[in-house]
Amino acid sequence: MFRSLANAWSNMFKPPHTVKYPFVGDVQVPSDYRGLILYDVEHCIFCDRCEKACPPKAIVFYQHDDGHKEYRYNPWLCIYCGECVRACPKADEALTHSSEKPNPASKAENVNDEWFVWQTVARESRERYAEKKKAEKAEKRAARKGEPAGPKGD
Amino acid sequence: MKKIETTLERVVKTIEEFYDRYEWHFLTLNGIDLDDGKIELQWIFAKYGAKDETVVFYCITDYETEVPSIVKLIPSAIMGEREVVDMFGLTIEGIEGKLYLSDDSLKTPLKTMGLGGCEV
Amino acid sequence: MKKVINIPLGSQHISLLEPVRFQFKTHNEKIVEVGADVGFVHRGIERACVTQFEWKKLPYVVARVCGLCAITHSLSFTLAVEKMLEFESTRRIDYLRMLMVELDRIHSHMLCLSHTAENAGFEAMFMEVMAAREPVMDLQEAISGNRVQFDYIAIGGVHRDISPETAKEVVATLDALKPKIERLLEEFSKNWSLSLKYRGVGMLTYEEACIYNTLGPLARAAGLRTDVRLESSDLPYEEVGFEVVLEKGGDIHARNMVRLYEILNSIEMCKNIVQNLPEGEHLLKIKGKPKGEAIVRLEAPRGELMYLVRGSGKNFLDRVRIKTPTFSGIPAMVEIFKGSEYADAPAILASFDPCMSCTAK
Repeated sequence: MFRSLANAWSNMFKPPHTVKYPFVGDVQVPSDYRGLILYDVEHCIFCDRCEKACPPKAIVFYQHDDGHKEYRYNPWLCIYCGECVRACPKADEALTHSSEKPNPASKAENVNDEWFVWQTVARESRERYAEKKKAEKAEKRAARKGEPAGPKGD
Repeated sequence: MKKIETTLERVVKTIEEFYDRYEWHFLTLNGIDLDDGKIELQWIFAKYGAKDETVVFYCITDYETEVPSIVKLIPSAIMGEREVVDMFGLTIEGIEGKLYLSDDSLKTPLKTMGLGGCEV
Repeated sequence: MKKVINIPLGSQHISLLEPVRFQFKTHNEKIVEVGADVGFVHRGIERACVTQFEWKKLPYVVARVCGLCAITHSLSFTLAVEKMLEFESTRRIDYLRMLMVELDRIHSHMLCLSHTAENAGFEAMFMEVMAAREPVMDLQEAISGNRVQFDYIAIGGVHRDISPETAKEVVATLDALKPKIERLLEEFSKNWSLSLKYRGVGMLTYEEACIYNTLGPLARAAGLRTDVRLESSDLPYEEVGFEVVLEKGGDIHARNMVRLYEILNSIEMCKNIVQNLPEGEHLLKIKGKPKGEAIVRLEAPRGELMYLVRGSGKNFLDRVRIKTPTFSGIPAMVEIFKGSEYADAPAILASFDPCMSCTAK
């Protein structure tokens, strides 16, 4: 009983195991912590491998009509597995696995709602672009066929 | 892994002859949908203390036939049987499903997978 | 006068970690009938595995079945696929995988012990065990890069090699943990007020353990010698000093003892692994698509985990069957509740270490 009293007394002066999180700045994370995926448009060759490799589909490329692609990444859907970086042919240049911590989002912000809309928009953009390309190709082929056919007809 | 084929009529007897509760333990009852309206049922056993000794009794059946229950032999089989009833919509004698699924979820989520989609 | 009272425990209850509902019928205080409802967190992962995701992404998907034993889930799936692809792993891969599984076992057992203490009314012990558990989780973070969802196991190896500094840290942390566990061992076996809540409560005899096919610490506490680390040759556990822990009692006290001695054994194993780490590659290339059928069993912290995978050489697999330890343990749990006092139910439940997200998957 005396031992437990002594224990209780000494416990009062022990520092707590926990940290006062929002007030003490950032918690220590190891240097090779798997954090945010960083992207560099300069080095990207737009091979789409990261998009195919991503398990939760947190990377999506939007296809613009003029031919260039736009990278979009959702840090709240990402599971930080690093599969995209491993799939990237120019890893550590185009895609990097940083140790930066992602910002938390509250449920009220509904961060993923917009993203799911965006996923469909991006898919449609690519379908549209593919169809456009197909039509252009067909037109070209028709034009090429049309050219030699034209003089013959004359 | 040893696979032994059996039929629905024989399965209870086979397991009764085979099963010794101090030697083997029952892992689970498993169903695999075989695309053509058939289902493969597997009763999986493993031996206590032996290296890599698993025995699988299997039989191929359709969805309509009632499957005999082995709960009387092995009481812990009830979980596996309830799950199979739930997931595939099979009938097993004396077993009620309703392990995971609620009224508004998919009815037989693992059935007719290969045929594209399931009954809703 | 005997009166039958219906008392539900769950699906939300102060002593529960996860949603499960037990329907007790009691004669005064004595439980006579039990019904269990486990399907509150069903997410359809088995279906998602064959319809939504390609086989290469599945280690990440099955890791989400459970937070505590994420590593055993992804490892058993990976082993099953590697069996189908006839892949030979190097010893370094095996050792690194074992290291993570054993670290996982240490912190999972500590979580269970802390909750058993809390549900028996000993909150200071709960906090102490949780505080001691934290460094183990930090170790896993240092090795894999994440605290809970490790995503460490890759098909063909592990994603990261262990650095010499981390290896030193593992040994130092585990050396510091050992005296704490020994102190807990003393506390759990000698504390008088805990023994009132633990000894002779929630009994499971050897005979019942055999009848209900119990697994893991629950079976070993009843004297049933079953441990997949002993029964499977997928990972070389004999080389690193694995010993089966057996107790005779079958009550909560015996289960606590099994867990504590297993933590001590795991600490020894982890140290052996880190100190005798073989040289070699940590990630090998793997080719082909899985074809055929494979069954893999692995000892998760709560007992035997089984994966049955069938594929036909396509991107999507035909069937992924996940049999989790708590799933098989439910009939035994229901049996143990019968005949005990209702007031003991939370402590008994915590001593099972039930994992409902595993069970309902």
